[in-house]
Amino acid sequence: MIKVNVNEKLVEVEPGATVMDAAKKAGVDIPTLCHHPKLHPYGACRLCLVEVEGARTLVPSCTAPATDNMVVHTDTPRVKKARNFVLSMLFSERNHFCMYCQATDGDCELQNAAYAEDMNSWPFTPHYLPYAVDASHPDFVLDNNRCILCRRCVRTCGELIGNYTLGFEERGSSSFLVADSGVPLGESTCISCGNCVQFCPTGAFLDRRSAYQGRLTDLTHTESVCVDCSLGCIRDVQTRDNRLVRIDGALEGEVNQGLLCERGRYKPFREDRERVNTPLIRRNGQLVPASWEEALNVVVTQLKANGSDDISALISPRQSVEAFNAFSEFFRDNFQAKQVGLLNKEQTAMVGVKLAEEFGLFESPVTALQSCDSALLLGADIEDQHQVAGFMLKRQIEGGLKLYRDDECDQPAVVDEFKANATADSAIVLGKCFVKQDNIQAVRDILAWASKTNVKVVLLKGKANAYAAALFGVAPCDREISSQFTYMALGDQHSCQNTLACLEQAAFKVVQAAYQCDLTDMADIVLPAKTCFEEEGHYLSGDGKLNLNRQALQADNQAKSTAEVIALLAGKLGLTLKSDWKAALTKRPTTLTLAL
Amino acid sequence: MAKPKVATDWLAGCAGCHMSFLDIDERIVDLLKLVDLRSSPITDLKEPDEDGVDVGILEGGITNTYNEEVAIKMRKRCKILVALGDCAVFGGVPAMRNFCGADAALKRAYIEAESNDDSAKIPSNPELSTTVPVKPVSDVVKVDVFLPGCAPSADAIFAVLADLANGKMPEVKGEINNWH
Repeated sequence: MIKVNVNEKLVEVEPGATVMDAAKKAGVDIPTLCHHPKLHPYGACRLCLVEVEGARTLVPSCTAPATDNMVVHTDTPRVKKARNFVLSMLFSERNHFCMYCQATDGDCELQNAAYAEDMNSWPFTPHYLPYAVDASHPDFVLDNNRCILCRRCVRTCGELIGNYTLGFEERGSSSFLVADSGVPLGESTCISCGNCVQFCPTGAFLDRRSAYQGRLTDLTHTESVCVDCSLGCIRDVQTRDNRLVRIDGALEGEVNQGLLCERGRYKPFREDRERVNTPLIRRNGQLVPASWEEALNVVVTQLKANGSDDISALISPRQSVEAFNAFSEFFRDNFQAKQVGLLNKEQTAMVGVKLAEEFGLFESPVTALQSCDSALLLGADIEDQHQVAGFMLKRQIEGGLKLYRDDECDQPAVVDEFKANATADSAIVLGKCFVKQDNIQAVRDILAWASKTNVKVVLLKGKANAYAAALFGVAPCDREISSQFTYMALGDQHSCQNTLACLEQAAFKVVQAAYQCDLTDMADIVLPAKTCFEEEGHYLSGDGKLNLNRQALQADNQAKSTAEVIALLAGKLGLTLKSDWKAALTKRPTTLTLAL
Repeated sequence: MAKPKVATDWLAGCAGCHMSFLDIDERIVDLLKLVDLRSSPITDLKEPDEDGVDVGILEGGITNTYNEEVAIKMRKRCKILVALGDCAVFGGVPAMRNFCGADAALKRAYIEAESNDDSAKIPSNPELSTTVPVKPVSDVVKVDVFLPGCAPSADAIFAVLADLANGKMPEVKGEINNWH
């Protein structure tokens, strides 16, 4: 351990710690703009200069390693003068006029730093050189005029995402941010993950939807799990007046560490479907509004009229554990429905749970991918779904990670090459194209090989709550099974060919959906459902961690959650639902240890 | 001791800072017990007393030679000069013009504006002042107190004026230092 004296306070830090780390441990706040806890120290802004006894000059605390018996002063007149000078230079370089910037009043780290130094004017005349604004991207605008050249965005794009889209052209004060080799952002290799926007300390990146919608500090922040894929990224859902304004990654998120992908951050804003606002009943061929009472009475009559062999109940993998619990108890335990299935084609989670009976806890958490020396992607989708897992791998390629990809599961040579070079630090990522019931022997073979060689295995489990569904025994629905009565809890999921085929054959169709789609058009009864932002519920991540999706918005229509609707139906039938969802989750063997 | 004399004026601003000053509401009665408000855009007297005032307050940035004259006259006639608001302190909203130049801005406003017809022309009377690159008041004369804000809140203005009325040099920091 290294002993450091910061402002007369003695602290001990690990070798390799920086002066800033030591100050943090001593409870001393050093202002900085370019430094970010999730990025490597860079030393671009010089705001964190401190005085070290014996050193010839002031040193940047973010990059200077702490040494034994170092004596650091962070608040001397010399330091304060330098800090003021650094800020004055930054303000003079570009257009940092706060009164017409969207990041002003609490959201801008540059402005906050100036306030902290009691700056109330600029000693230098600004350099009025305009830069072009790049507004070619659908989600955000890049304004070089507001840039302080801290390179947080460039480092986020490279170090954390591994995408290397952003970079700098020119040198010194003429430096400006470009995408690729200077193409418009909207036409670049940008994957629209938006992490650069989140990490930018100033108003250089302008989020189109939250800009000028009020200070981020004034928005209501709800920490919630993302319900797109099953990775379990934690996001900071920001709302105002019951309106979704912005979504950021939560720095505390164990899997995502502050990052989000396009699907988690921007997809909810692209929602353009019409809501289902009231229950609808088909009368004379037309769907007409009805009360919940009327609609549920029809459902109950139909349920009673059909035997268990005639009932199919299908639920979306975006629904909560609570919904699965009520749904499976109601339809499976009480009605012995012929099919209680998942509106999902991906079989990864289900097959994984099945193989846990043979292989035990064969899986590593997805965070194991954060440090490995080679990885085999077998039928795994990390570019559309599970993008954050993709970031973990992509960002290591620069450091020498060897990636073997067999996306379509048709290149045994690639798999063999991986096997030949694998070490204990290698990982296999299995995805939906490989982990399928009809390919189960191949999965068994690779699991057996992995357990023999100690190579880590990660299963990408598809949609948000697919793992929990598998543990509830709710398997992907079989479109070949036809029923007289089909109940579909779609929630806010999109319809697809598969869901359509599952519904088409039923004589009587109940669709519980947040949005109108071809499924609701076909239904006999439509029940308005809540969106993932309107209801609260638990989700089991692919790593077996139970996360809470907190309610961020109030449904402003008659929507009810699946659990609420099932409870109402059960009440009408004189049934009491009593299943404990935590206990239900632990009935089957798991692929890794659950944290419930 | 006589009440300190205060004079105010506006340069290239929107009058918002003076409106914010009036937002101190009934506290203006307390303030007027302490100070003698002389010239200002909201009083009849329009020029600071020739024999000088104690406190001069300027709103707005410098955009032309007339603004320069007003600033220089105010500086000459006051002991303590306060730059009030973001335009006076930094150049503010009028300084946006510097990114394109005065000629382009005049052309856009007087010739290309949607409401103009073919007879539109840029005013060129020799009586008019000429444009200069937009700058804060402190680029023309020495400023003693900077009170930024767009506009500074009534509370901030009251705090600064109350200090000055009590013969204290105000410190603009913390809550009242808000650039918006």
